[in-house]
Amino acid sequence: MDREAGAGERGAALVDVRGLAVRYGAISAVHGVDLQVHAGEAVAIIGPNGAGKTSLLSAMAGIVRPAAGSIEIGGRPAASIPLPEMVRQGVALVPEGRNIFGSLTVMENLRLGATVRRDDGVAAEIERVVETFPVLGERRNQPAGQLSGGEQQMLAIARAMLSRPRLLMLDEPSLGLAPVIVDRVYELIRTIRAQGVAILLVEQNAERAFAVAERACIMSHGAFTLTGTPPEIRQSGAFDAAYFGVAMEAVP
Amino acid sequence: MSEQIVQTLVDAISVGGLYALTALGIGLIFGVMRLINFAHAQLIMAAGYAVLVFSTQSVVLAIAGALAAAVVLALLVERAAFRPLRSADPAMLLIASFAVSFFLEKAMIVVVGSRPKGVDFLPGLARQIEVAGVRLQMLQLVTIAVCLVLLAATTWFLRSTRLGLEMRAAAENFRMAEVLGVRADRVIATAFAISALLAGAVACLFVAQTGLVQPRMGLQLVIIAFVGTVIGGLGSLPGSALGGFLVGAVTILLQALLPPDLRLFREAFLFVAVAAVLVVRPQGLIPAPGMKERI
Amino acid sequence: MSEASAPALRVEPVADATPSPLARLFPLLCLVAVVLVISGLAELVPTVAQRRITQGLINLIAVVGLYVFAGNSGVLSFGNVAFMAIGAYVSALLTMPAAAKGVFLPDLPAWLAAAEWPVLGGALAGGGAAALVAAVAGYPLMRLSGISASIATFAILVVAYVVLGNWTSVTGGQNSLMGLPIYVGQWTAAGWAISAITVAFLHQESRSGLLLRASREDEPAAAASGVHIVRHRLAAFVIGAFLSGISGVLLGHFLGTVRVETFYLDLTFLLIAMLVIGGMRSLTGAVAGAVVIALLTELLRQAEVGVTIGGTAIAAPGGLGDAVLALLMLVMILFRPNGLAGGREIEWPRRRPSR
Repeated sequence: MDREAGAGERGAALVDVRGLAVRYGAISAVHGVDLQVHAGEAVAIIGPNGAGKTSLLSAMAGIVRPAAGSIEIGGRPAASIPLPEMVRQGVALVPEGRNIFGSLTVMENLRLGATVRRDDGVAAEIERVVETFPVLGERRNQPAGQLSGGEQQMLAIARAMLSRPRLLMLDEPSLGLAPVIVDRVYELIRTIRAQGVAILLVEQNAERAFAVAERACIMSHGAFTLTGTPPEIRQSGAFDAAYFGVAMEAVP
Repeated sequence: MSEQIVQTLVDAISVGGLYALTALGIGLIFGVMRLINFAHAQLIMAAGYAVLVFSTQSVVLAIAGALAAAVVLALLVERAAFRPLRSADPAMLLIASFAVSFFLEKAMIVVVGSRPKGVDFLPGLARQIEVAGVRLQMLQLVTIAVCLVLLAATTWFLRSTRLGLEMRAAAENFRMAEVLGVRADRVIATAFAISALLAGAVACLFVAQTGLVQPRMGLQLVIIAFVGTVIGGLGSLPGSALGGFLVGAVTILLQALLPPDLRLFREAFLFVAVAAVLVVRPQGLIPAPGMKERI
Repeated sequence: MSEASAPALRVEPVADATPSPLARLFPLLCLVAVVLVISGLAELVPTVAQRRITQGLINLIAVVGLYVFAGNSGVLSFGNVAFMAIGAYVSALLTMPAAAKGVFLPDLPAWLAAAEWPVLGGALAGGGAAALVAAVAGYPLMRLSGISASIATFAILVVAYVVLGNWTSVTGGQNSLMGLPIYVGQWTAAGWAISAITVAFLHQESRSGLLLRASREDEPAAAASGVHIVRHRLAAFVIGAFLSGISGVLLGHFLGTVRVETFYLDLTFLLIAMLVIGGMRSLTGAVAGAVVIALLTELLRQAEVGVTIGGTAIAAPGGLGDAVLALLMLVMILFRPNGLAGGREIEWPRRRPSR
């Protein structure tokens, strides 16, 4: 597995992270992380609770300022992009816990997803979303807070997609959902992938992530401990150690 | 006898309306920024003095001037004082708000002195008309009408426009709204502008009613309306309006119903009620979605 | 609560880690010295200035009272001026000569009308009454979170203002009460100021004070550790109210009159400005704020009075002082939110361990 090979073929990275460190006061959540995501790629960051995955994603999405290192979005330094402009750069985030607006209706949530778009295709696209998820159509004028967990997750993802992102970042999309629902969520992620949108997926559940991602980074205690394609990682036998944080070098 | 009851009721509704509008203005800002804008009183003050300046020329000019003065001041205050503090903790915001309000009031005193000035604004509305056999003051009816129209307009704006949708989203979860691309600056500026328009309208009606402007005007309105916002539910717009209305109306009704020696204590009753509500039902009568303590 | 079973880290003791008793008392001694110096200077200046200094010391006590609660708990209180009012009125009622009471408060109950307590008793009663009201009103309020609690203390201010201003038979309502025994000069004020500073210092070094400060930094964490935040907040609130009450007593017996109008928004703003500018998070800040703002307001007042140069009077417009104070407070909040003292006490210079 060679991360660098093929980078030139795919063009500039959508997101380019180098030497990233994220700190909360004296606590280091992320240190020394390098990561690139290119157009159309699906990358997973897998690790247990507290590994630093959400902090990494927050820094990449522009929510948290890094303590060290650099992040470039489409070639531009992320520090120069204010948070509301991130989505205009083609980066959409579905944060942990769905974060839908419970007091707004389902339709209003969807329309917010398209906030940055000025074209006329929005209404038609929303209708297509609603066709794909009939339950959203049934509840279109009800407060989104009344949806079930799985339905809210679908809504959150559909909402994020309405901004026509080039990169979709998902933080623990399976968290707190029943396996049957998670199946549907991952079906949706695969569909999005098939449309050519790059995916950056943060997960605790490695198997789920391996099914979608072409490249995975195992994260523990704030750093990547193992990277590679899912087959490579499985064959290396080093997964458990990497996941649970026994210190080791990255598999070359 | 029943004429008196109707008159008291109309009085209560018209005063309630003024407080509802004021409370709505305060609630709008709190909703998007978690900031209690004490300076709302000075928005009313600025609008009032604009009416003073233009009242001799034409009514339309006076009203336009009042609205413009309030909006300009609101945007200035937002830009200079509140925007730099956007990420500060709520206690600092509260103190800053207090300081801004105090500064504006004292600065006005430096410029115009602290004594009230008389204003002859819309004197035609002071006359009484007869409605269904009851004599009512024209100004009160106009006040009620204006309040209803503005409440409806604000509601329409929030529910039916894109900017209104963004504001409601930001009020529920500011960070998530930003992640979706909602621009904080626009939303907050809009909230301040609408809040200022409401303040300007209240000022016009208030000046027409009292015939006076002074630097301290607006203070009473805002303190009582603020009580209403707390009772109705901080951060909830229908709650604010309802709370403001109830508090304003109850003030008038208490005045009419309390025995004379207790009448002077009516404000004390109100504030004890606030404290009671805060203790028993801190989220207010109509709780706002998304209001939670910072963890 | 069981001990955590994580492996213990070894920590090398740092040289000078435990400050000597002198170092611990250093802030207190400094602040007391400041008060003594101020009072000493007051001996040297004309009477008018002396009176200003005395009033400044009284305000200092009020700010310290405000600090005991607001600084340690992180919750701003708008209500301390109400406690000043209560202290002033209670002491007035107990110490005014019966003849004066007969003139201003003809409807007092007989036992009160005849009471002529010694001034110390009146002062302690005034502080005690304020503390009692704080205990009763504060009990339900201390459970509220930061902003709600602040709003509730604002309610205390308004309720006190309205009640005291309308309870004509007992307080004279909107009218001034006059004829209070005047016993407060700069040394009395200084003595009370030193006591107040000492009380505040002892409180913040006490277990209750330390636990309260811990909760200020991180409320959920402290609550999860079993700290009884409500209890400690209430204690601070009551102690702060007592000190505020004392300052109200002193104000009344300095001016010789009590008027409810004195104890409302303007004074509230002045005290909050002093605390914020000086630095809300330390006793040094409270004292510093009181001193600096007292000087500043004096300068501005002189500017408003004006200066006569060659027959022309040049004066700043009235009210400028207040506007400048408000502006200063805003600037401080924007650029140095922890105030002049930056949240720290005056420290005994420590030898840093060599690396």
